[in-house]
Amino acid sequence: MSRTQNSIGTWIGWTFFADLANGLALTFGYMFSRSVTMQYPDKEKWLPYSRYRGHHFLKRDEEGEIKCVACELCARICPCYCIEVVPYEDEKGNRRPLKFEIDTARCLFCGLCEDACPADAIALGQQYEFSSFSSRDLVIGRDDLLAKPGKAAMGGGVVAARLDTKKDVLVETSETRGYNWWRNIRRT
Amino acid sequence: MELVVALGLIVFKVALLIAFLLLLPLPLTWVERKIAGHIQQRLGPMRVGWHGLLQPVADGIKLLTKEDHIPAEADHFLFKLAPILALAPPFVVFVAIPFGESVSVLGNEITLYVSNMNVALLFVFAVIGLEVYGVIFGGWAANSKYAVLGSLRTCAQMISYEIPMGFAVIGVVMLAQSMSLLDIVRAQADVWNIVYQPIGFFVFFVAGLAEAQRIPFDLAEAEGDLGAGFHTEYSGIRFAFFMVSEYVIMLLVSVLAVILFFGGWNGVLVPLPPLLWFALKVAFFVYLFMWFRFTFPRYRYDQLMAIGWKVLLPLSMANIIITGIAFS
Repeated sequence: MSRTQNSIGTWIGWTFFADLANGLALTFGYMFSRSVTMQYPDKEKWLPYSRYRGHHFLKRDEEGEIKCVACELCARICPCYCIEVVPYEDEKGNRRPLKFEIDTARCLFCGLCEDACPADAIALGQQYEFSSFSSRDLVIGRDDLLAKPGKAAMGGGVVAARLDTKKDVLVETSETRGYNWWRNIRRT
Repeated sequence: MELVVALGLIVFKVALLIAFLLLLPLPLTWVERKIAGHIQQRLGPMRVGWHGLLQPVADGIKLLTKEDHIPAEADHFLFKLAPILALAPPFVVFVAIPFGESVSVLGNEITLYVSNMNVALLFVFAVIGLEVYGVIFGGWAANSKYAVLGSLRTCAQMISYEIPMGFAVIGVVMLAQSMSLLDIVRAQADVWNIVYQPIGFFVFFVAGLAEAQRIPFDLAEAEGDLGAGFHTEYSGIRFAFFMVSEYVIMLLVSVLAVILFFGGWNGVLVPLPPLLWFALKVAFFVYLFMWFRFTFPRYRYDQLMAIGWKVLLPLSMANIIITGIAFS
């Protein structure tokens, strides 16, 4: 209906395909704008924000001892029962986990274990590359969890990466205020 | 002896032409995907070779090694014939296309065309019309509803668009007083035909888009509503034949647009080798085709018909009348 109310100028525009020309000009502009592609995993990868709930890790205290007191609260609160803790008494008489296994295949990354922990021993980090060919490899033991990288102070940015994703590289980003997804997009 | 040399030269030229046309779609697919990527702010192929340059080779190997599948209920003879029918005519057309006047190699003048027909334009339009049989047979033989719908659309589209396309070039023929493509280019030595024939060029180009079945007129394959249109059931090397045919026709329409309306190998201002001028102009039109593809949406079927019969046909006829009155 709006067509009948158009002015003569619009009709002239239609005759000379002004709208088609506008579209072509727009795509031509976009063609020479920067692309927003992140070349993962060839060149760069996304480091999530520190609030991200990725792969679990166990913390150590100042003396290098494992912080976990094997209270099994995390195993209790876990909604999918994927944490298995077996306690033992070490030579100093402290209660420590002999076995601390997380089945990451079943884990839903809710972060409740982190909340429940009275000793601030377990947390969910920023690592997200742990796909595997076998579900058995996804059961992570105590020593592996201790070796996992902790939280980076900053996150939300693109860091250098390489194809070998099995290496745990943690690079601090300079992007303190997060990644501006619209940075490269032309706004007209 | 002279006959043998002349014959050998023709065979050599034809072999060169075929090799060139068969290999050209490889870089063209890469260019098309790169243009698509950058228009959509992606990078396009990046992983195979430097900036994905070897991607077409990888695709070619993939297509060659894929299973050559023929549906059980398909018409086997037509199914196998269709890709060849679609591939051959665009190659045949290039026999009549001149790429330049001549170059001297070892003291001999070698012409840059296989044959200088006096009815080249007629030949081009006659042979290019045959390509549609490959599409129609392919769609029919596959015994799939998507493929049949695709080939039906192609059929109607070709009828609607070859008439305006043929009429659009009559103005050019009237200006050059010849149907030989060589004479047409020579007649444009001073002023290109686009100056006298803007309407003719517009009709020719739009009809050429439809002829090459490129967006916005790619209703035959319309991946949104027909799967892949007429080549839904094709796989492997037969599918590659259709793809090569599509690219060669795109090239052909670009070449024709350059020869008929943009002065062929006649340059302006910058003195470049004639062949380079020609290649640059053709490259521009090929880019235009790809640029269009990633800018415009597809026309609806009834819009396609309306544009063909209600806009392009009267425009092309008016162009003939105007040209006739103005240059008589």
